[in-house]
Amino acid sequence: MAMNGNPIDTSQLLKGVLELAVLAVLADHDSYGYDVLRRLRESGLDAVGDASVYGTLRRLYQAGVLKSYVVPSDEGPHRKYYGLNDRGRSALDQSTKTWGSFTSALDHLLNGRSTANAK
Amino acid sequence: MPNSSQANDVARYAAEVRAALSSLPDAERESLLEDLESHLAEVASESDQSLEDRLGKPAAYAAELRSAYGVASEARNAPPKKRYRDRAWGLVSAVLATQAYSEVRAFLPELRAGWWVLRAYLLVLVLAFMFRDGLNLRPVPNPFTSSGLLQILATVLAIVVSARLGRRGMPVSRGWRGAAVAANVGIALVALPVLVSMGTGSDYYGYYAAGSSDPNLTQAANYSSFTNIYPYSRDGQPLRDVLLYDQDGKPIVAADSGLVTNVPIGADGLPIQNAYPLTQSDPNGAPVVAPRVALPPWPSSQPSPSPAISPTPTPTR
Repeated sequence: MAMNGNPIDTSQLLKGVLELAVLAVLADHDSYGYDVLRRLRESGLDAVGDASVYGTLRRLYQAGVLKSYVVPSDEGPHRKYYGLNDRGRSALDQSTKTWGSFTSALDHLLNGRSTANAK
Repeated sequence: MPNSSQANDVARYAAEVRAALSSLPDAERESLLEDLESHLAEVASESDQSLEDRLGKPAAYAAELRSAYGVASEARNAPPKKRYRDRAWGLVSAVLATQAYSEVRAFLPELRAGWWVLRAYLLVLVLAFMFRDGLNLRPVPNPFTSSGLLQILATVLAIVVSARLGRRGMPVSRGWRGAAVAANVGIALVALPVLVSMGTGSDYYGYYAAGSSDPNLTQAANYSSFTNIYPYSRDGQPLRDVLLYDQDGKPIVAADSGLVTNVPIGADGLPIQNAYPLTQSDPNGAPVVAPRVALPPWPSSQPSPSPAISPTPTPTR
């Protein structure tokens, strides 16, 4: 179904789900800011901005769902790594369920509309 | 290894981001920007492009950072004063969101025409107040006096002009728009005390007689406003053609009542305005009847006026 005239603003959508996306990336393995950004982009979220990822990491860390540690690096600056702690994992589980019911509801809505249009 | 120009680029970019976020509380800003430099250095080391080319302007980067970091955390550290203001604003928005407000709001434009008429009336009222020393204004001017007629005509004219101005809509230019708003508010504010004073007059009908600007006449308005005087003799007989003067010897002239007054003309051809009671008739020609009065009971045994109060010694002869 093509959107004419007023396409969905991807950055607005991202704003709502970036937190979940960052948690998901870190659930895979611990990572530092720039690496998180790269992996988000590789998974298809190429509209995501560097500052958004960095700000989200700091917010999640402040909220107490991330652990953080510094890894010295020989060929560059020290890297601050982030990873999920226990609270982070349960937050991810919760958010995954919320996301699942949200998307299925929206899928239902959109599919219902497209079949209605087809008739 | 990052080269020195990259390090400079990182330092400069980070400094500008920090500056753009200077309005955040210190603790908040530090926890957000703790490892900004090392993060930016990471980004810079990936490419030879400048940070600004890759990440955009530092101010935009700061804004995105702030938005991603979340407004909630900013509010948590905000001083309580601001939170009270937020709460007050929340209350206001709650009121604005109610059904009742939106209904009133939808209804308001229909009241505009009413205001156009009202402001014209108020403007003329205020002008009348100013030019007549503000005494004894009536809600509806007396059309049988020249000043009352003038006031009515002026009101009609003002309504026409006001409605034309209103229908034309608000001026486009900002300055004129401000002036228009100020003028409307001004009329409303100035008219308020005039309206209040109108209600407190002791005599609703009494007000300045038109054309009685002769300084040799004492205006009724300078006393309490009366429109006629009915003198009675001591034994209760109504008196006719009683000439009244005040303490300065000026004739006392009644206020204009809107009634038709037949003023006797003296032998010199001048009207005698202070001969009471005035012979008056209403605009339809019906004569005004003297009011019923309750005469005070004089002490019957005393032939002389008020001996009890005036201790004039009786000459013993």
